[in-house]
Amino acid sequence: MKFLMSLFKMTCEDVYPLISEEMDRPLSFGARMRLKMHLAICHLCEAYRKQLETLRRLAQSLGEEDSKVNEEAVLNPDIKEKIQKAIKEKV
Amino acid sequence: MNQESLEPEKWVENYADMLYRYCLIRVKDPDIAEELVQSTFFAALKSQHTFAGKSTEKTWLFGILKHKTMDYFRGARKNINLDISDSDTDSINFDSTGHMVPTPSNWNLNPENAAENNELAQVLKDCLNGLSEKFHRLFVLKEIEGLSSEEICKEFNVKPTNLWVMLHRARNQLKLCIESNWFSKE
Repeated sequence: MKFLMSLFKMTCEDVYPLISEEMDRPLSFGARMRLKMHLAICHLCEAYRKQLETLRRLAQSLGEEDSKVNEEAVLNPDIKEKIQKAIKEKV
Repeated sequence: MNQESLEPEKWVENYADMLYRYCLIRVKDPDIAEELVQSTFFAALKSQHTFAGKSTEKTWLFGILKHKTMDYFRGARKNINLDISDSDTDSINFDSTGHMVPTPSNWNLNPENAAENNELAQVLKDCLNGLSEKFHRLFVLKEIEGLSSEEICKEFNVKPTNLWVMLHRARNQLKLCIESNWFSKE
């Protein structure tokens, strides 16, 4: 009973670190339950959880080899020339 | 299928900018990104004979750059302490009634579609650059390089609980930055 009561008494402040924590390591059974119960009734924490999930997916796409972000960034032409010269000498 | 072969004369033209951009997402300092790309090409030149033709030329070059970048991170470990310090704070607070401040806004976005939103990814890129060197490094290792928490703790001497607190704070900072630079525009 005490455990059941503790499920409902969680405030956002208690719960919200668990949302990020769950992204990094598995939560204990109790913590997982508390989080689940709270997210079911608190739309703000649920919105926050969605935001962190969006952030994670965005970061993954940002890190891909073919990411279209930052397309205006180009390697310094002097360095390109230096590399090209080294390649010519070697080939 | 033809076996893949190397065409070093075309490397700079075909891959230099691509490799550079890839690196710029991972290291904050453009000079270091430049150096890493340069040393990637030099290493590739030296080890052409190790190219077995099993992967594409592009994958092979990216592989070398990935190694170089991780080597740089390991070396930089001495200069930047990645463990928690007193100056690290959480940018999200709670009012006396226990509510989050600022209130999380509705991003009206399905997380699964987020990856397709290039403009939003660009905002994240700019926000990433606003993080401290330490938070930037940890976020990159975890979310971009995809290292596990255990690997990060072991390789970079961070206590597990501290890693988790710092990642939590880094995420909060990024989330708030995205909110103020993107969602408040409308």
